[in-house]
Amino acid sequence: AHFSTDPNLRPSGRLELRTQKSAISQFRGLKFLGARFDEGDSIIFLRKEIFCGFLSAGKASVMASSLRLYLTCIRNTLEAAMCLQNFPCQEVERHNKPEVELKTSSELLLNPVLICRNEAERCLIETSINSLRLSLKVKQADELENILTKKFLRFLSIRAEAFQVLRRKPIQGYDISFLVTNYNCEEMQKQKLIDFIVQFMEDIDKEISDLKMSVNTRGRLVATEFLKQFL
Amino acid sequence: MGFSLRPRVENFRIGSDSSLEFQNYGHLSPARSDSGGAGAKAAPYLGGEAKKMAAIAVHQFAQSITCHAWSPDRSMIAICPNNNEVHIYRLSQEKWEKVHVLQKHDQIISGIDWSVKSNKIVTASHDRNSYVWNHEGSEWLPTLVILRLNRAALCVQWSPKENKFAVGSGAKTVCICYYEQDNNWWVSKLIRKRHESSVTSVAWHPNNIFVATTSTDGKCRVFSTFIKGVDTKYGRSSSSSDSKFGEQIVQLDLSISWAFGVKWSPSGKTLAYVGHNSMIYFVDDVGPAPLAQNVALRDLPLRDVLFISEKMVIGVGFDCNPMVFAPDDRGMWTFIRFLDEKKPTLASPKYGSQFSEALGKFYAQSKYGASNNDGNSPSKSRGGAHENCITCIMPLAGKSRITRFSTSGLDGRVVVWDLEKQEDLLHTL
Repeated sequence: AHFSTDPNLRPSGRLELRTQKSAISQFRGLKFLGARFDEGDSIIFLRKEIFCGFLSAGKASVMASSLRLYLTCIRNTLEAAMCLQNFPCQEVERHNKPEVELKTSSELLLNPVLICRNEAERCLIETSINSLRLSLKVKQADELENILTKKFLRFLSIRAEAFQVLRRKPIQGYDISFLVTNYNCEEMQKQKLIDFIVQFMEDIDKEISDLKMSVNTRGRLVATEFLKQFL
Repeated sequence: MGFSLRPRVENFRIGSDSSLEFQNYGHLSPARSDSGGAGAKAAPYLGGEAKKMAAIAVHQFAQSITCHAWSPDRSMIAICPNNNEVHIYRLSQEKWEKVHVLQKHDQIISGIDWSVKSNKIVTASHDRNSYVWNHEGSEWLPTLVILRLNRAALCVQWSPKENKFAVGSGAKTVCICYYEQDNNWWVSKLIRKRHESSVTSVAWHPNNIFVATTSTDGKCRVFSTFIKGVDTKYGRSSSSSDSKFGEQIVQLDLSISWAFGVKWSPSGKTLAYVGHNSMIYFVDDVGPAPLAQNVALRDLPLRDVLFISEKMVIGVGFDCNPMVFAPDDRGMWTFIRFLDEKKPTLASPKYGSQFSEALGKFYAQSKYGASNNDGNSPSKSRGGAHENCITCIMPLAGKSRITRFSTSGLDGRVVVWDLEKQEDLLHTL
């Protein structure tokens, strides 16, 4: 009854919802993040076949438009979730800890939101009163991509200091994690942070496929050179 | 007269005919508080065509402001620049100069209140302490208040008669402190029971007895703080059955998420507070049978509210724009409009410089020119007076009906807003 029906807020395309609270379509405001669901996480699942109706070109357009939708969904969720404030620790005096990592006071945590593009790609956003944790699972089609992703993201995670919002270790089950605290929001603009994260997600895919291509190319060149001696 | 502000958005228009001087504050550079005294300039602009502009002055004091309070004559402002100090600035000849720095706390100061009649400042900090500062000569002398808290203090407010003040804390308690003349000391009494989580905000009822508190367990509670030695002097009849210290008058469980920013209306009839699920709650007839109204917001949650009059409330929060609420003829509170005009422009596709440098090391090609492409819609910039979350709103001028108020936010700005020129809003006052 109290959700706005502004069409600009709903991402284009339909989303299948696995929860009863159909207000997932409205990402502004923390109505769904604040609600105490009983059925656990809310899952937003993008169905690929829906987009076949919208496009004229082939598979590339399908991937592109579902990527856009996925990223818009994440962006809207982050805009609602990244409302952080300074909050001293309730458990330990004179300390200030990111509550999403601590998880001792359940009233300070909000419901985590899981956004799935397909079975392989997922994004988990957990929020609390002073911090937000975003974990990504990147698409890994074959073994080579698996190794490349792991090495590349490990390379980035080790240099997490330079990124400030990156977490050194990804959450169990995911490839990379971000930890945004209220201090980050005070120093930097929220919109720019969200832009960074969304851009990061876009570029990860391109980077992994570039790496894979270069590995394959090099392998082919090396093999050709090696086998030339047997000609 | 110079106006110093670093514009983060190209189209940030301040006034049509004011001469603008842009000073680069270096948004990502640390420790600007020392240069704050010299750099912060008063910037009142009243452009001729800016009739409808509600924000009449924008002052940049620091990188980030936690809270602020005005002196009784409104010539001085006390701010906390997100560290353990209080900076007091005085406005002299259109420039702000830093006159005092109050340094006693060890951790960030979460609340400042400046009493109007007795000219005392009370500060509360995350280091579990609170100090009452008295102005003696040209110095501010602190007096420690033993709060007996074992967690951080989150908010503080003087009572209307200024003989008591209330401190909300992370220890799930509220401290009511009063001055004991015999010992020359501020004594505290704790309201221990009832709160299940940190107390985020406190507000005094005009009768100096009731205090409303909001907490991160989502509930708003009203307590009686009748103290025998302090309150009987004012002729309050003790026949009321609620006059026991710490007695809970009413508990409002309206919000499913954290509650912030509680305030009473000037007569004490209505109570307003905000929930983190983007709702604002108005409660009439606080007592055994309160009448509550929920107003859902379209956008991001609010942090604080202020009663302009009995019939108008301004809410501020994560939208960086004050929102006006007023009841219609039937008494149903609704959202009227935003106070600040926003000029939505396409933000430049660059992110913070640190990120682009770090990313540039890993991505050989430069894609910043092309990032302004189709799907990845760049974020809409605010273009308003505040660029980051507004955390605090304080009244400035006006007795029964506030005509001016000020807001401070995490972007380090204090913006003064004027309602005189907003004709459509004046009708509803």
